Amino acid sequence: MSASTTHDGGDRAGEILVETVTKRFGDVVAVNDVSITIPGGEFFSMLGPSGCGKTTTLRMIAGFEAPDAGRIVLQGADVTHVPPPKRNVNMVFQAYGLFPHMTVGENVAFGPKIKKWSREETRERVAEAIRTVRLDGFEDRRPGQLSGGQQQRVALARALVNRPAALLLDEPLGALDLKLRKEMQLELKDLQQRTGTTFVYVTHDQEEAMTMSDRIAVMNGGVVEQLATPKELYQRPASAFVAGFIGTSNLIELRVDRRDGGLLTMDLGEGQRILAVAPEGASGDATITVRPEWIKLSTGEVGDRACHVGGTVVDVVYLGSVTQMIVLLPTGERLTVHRLNDEVGADEPRPGQQVMLHWAAEHSYVVGSEAGAAEIAAEAGAPTAGVTGS
Amino acid sequence: MAELQETLGVGIGSADETRRARRGPRRPGGARGAFGILFAPVTLLIVLFLVPFLIMVQMSVVKFPPRVDSGYTLDHYVEVLTNPLNPHIAWTTFTIATTAMIAMLLVAIPLAYFMVFKAGKWELFLLLALVLADELAPVVKVYAWQVILGRNGILNWLIPGPPVEWLLYSQFAVILTLSTTYITYTTIPIYAAMKAIEPATFEAATDLGAGWWQQARKILIPLAAPGIFVAMILVYIPMLTDFVTSDIVGGTGSYMMGQRVRDLILGQGDWGAGSALNFLLLAMSVLLAFVAYRLARLNRIES
Repeated sequence: MSASTTHDGGDRAGEILVETVTKRFGDVVAVNDVSITIPGGEFFSMLGPSGCGKTTTLRMIAGFEAPDAGRIVLQGADVTHVPPPKRNVNMVFQAYGLFPHMTVGENVAFGPKIKKWSREETRERVAEAIRTVRLDGFEDRRPGQLSGGQQQRVALARALVNRPAALLLDEPLGALDLKLRKEMQLELKDLQQRTGTTFVYVTHDQEEAMTMSDRIAVMNGGVVEQLATPKELYQRPASAFVAGFIGTSNLIELRVDRRDGGLLTMDLGEGQRILAVAPEGASGDATITVRPEWIKLSTGEVGDRACHVGGTVVDVVYLGSVTQMIVLLPTGERLTVHRLNDEVGADEPRPGQQVMLHWAAEHSYVVGSEAGAAEIAAEAGAPTAGVTGS
Repeated sequence: MAELQETLGVGIGSADETRRARRGPRRPGGARGAFGILFAPVTLLIVLFLVPFLIMVQMSVVKFPPRVDSGYTLDHYVEVLTNPLNPHIAWTTFTIATTAMIAMLLVAIPLAYFMVFKAGKWELFLLLALVLADELAPVVKVYAWQVILGRNGILNWLIPGPPVEWLLYSQFAVILTLSTTYITYTTIPIYAAMKAIEPATFEAATDLGAGWWQQARKILIPLAAPGIFVAMILVYIPMLTDFVTSDIVGGTGSYMMGQRVRDLILGQGDWGAGSALNFLLLAMSVLLAFVAYRLARLNRIES
């Protein structure tokens, strides 16, 4: 199943456009004016907490929900009002939806038989799809005789055999245990690259999205908060929500005492300060995010462009490759600090100990308004800072 | 939306729960515990079921007049099998019961589907309505149909023109009344079987291009088959022996086996022929039940 034989949409093969789409359920706006462009052959993820509109958006692409406003364009053709079977996309459901009374082979052959392909073509393509998901030899088993991971692969084969322009996956790994999930993540990514099919993947697991995706749309409250590559999302979160949702992040409210040389400065006395690079056109106070691994314990002097702040260790957790510390700042905020355990016999910090922290001003990333920070902090149940993503 | 459906889905036992419940946990306790628990019901079953059954079997082979020293004979069976009236009655009974069965399945399958997958918050209401409809005394229900279907009944009052005569005291009336009497027992087993079907199964079928008819034929019916067979056993056999319905709303063309047995014994005092006919009916029912059971087993889903 190479890209050239799979699709028939010319250079727009596998391309999906979601244009200013809105969907309401009663009074609830599930998806609010969302626009997404997914080029063909991309592994695209929609990531967000439950109720953020990611599944609804996927179901609108599949055709199971009709948008109240906006368009869905598939390979250059408007499919907004086209029913699911006529869309040339296939979906893999969280509950798989396998046909329990049919064998693996019959499950996979369901689509081809409905489409009335020739017997020979059906047999060939079914065998190919079963090979693609590495289920050779299981053709005559029934779904009930397979493990969760194998069932998942049957669902994939059953969808892929139709050679869809795009495969839509709705939390397909949600029912699997952690170890199997990790294996399937790599396998899915591999499968996507081998087939060259556009994958649109819905998940609430940020790690899963980061592992597999070319690009991720982080959704919250029916809107896309940020659409970017995993690296960009992590390093330059567009909002406090994204910062909190992707990885572990510290949010600090920066009271801007001074601006000089493009740096925002909050003075804390005794030479202690928190700095951030001023974004263009910004004024007033700001919220910054600092990743835990960028914060270092300091013993001596630090450079001019570095943040420098003291605090009390309140908690120490050994996580294997890193040791996680929670440090209480004089501002009342708590910072999560990760120290890499790469030295034999290094001193372990203890709760109650006073430490000095430093990090480069460039690592204080300004994310947005104070209101946004307060909102995310409240959601996470944290006092102000130290928001920890899952 | 999927999130919303998930929440609704677990409202009354999700598919997984049903599957688990069906298998059930293995109970501890040995044979002695089982004897203690089973003593009362087994005794009741012997007294109330097995004893009358044996009396009936004995009656069917005792020479007339039925006395202890009368001796045994198969004459009653010969008489029952050779009487030209009986095949005719059997055919009528078969036609009526089968037509009613088909009518009920045509209603029960879509109804059960609607209750499980479409009714949402009305599911429990419909289930209750079905059960309550069955709770009414059967004779009262049959008389209600007399009021509805009669020459001066509600239906004829609604239909313009001269009164339609064949509505009451006809096969039609018996089929309609039987169908409404047994619809609960037809629907509930099918409903239970469908309850175990994952809703995503239908969405997956839609996604793969199957229309509603293909989904019904290839997904719904095969997966509901165990429930359909249970419903058929549960309903077909009582209809074979029903005589109240045909007594009240039936006519000369709807004389059924149940009536025949009743009339042989209570009307003519012919215990021998009545018992023999009844035994043959029972044997046929057991055979039917066995065939249905085998078919249901063939269709059982390995999981």
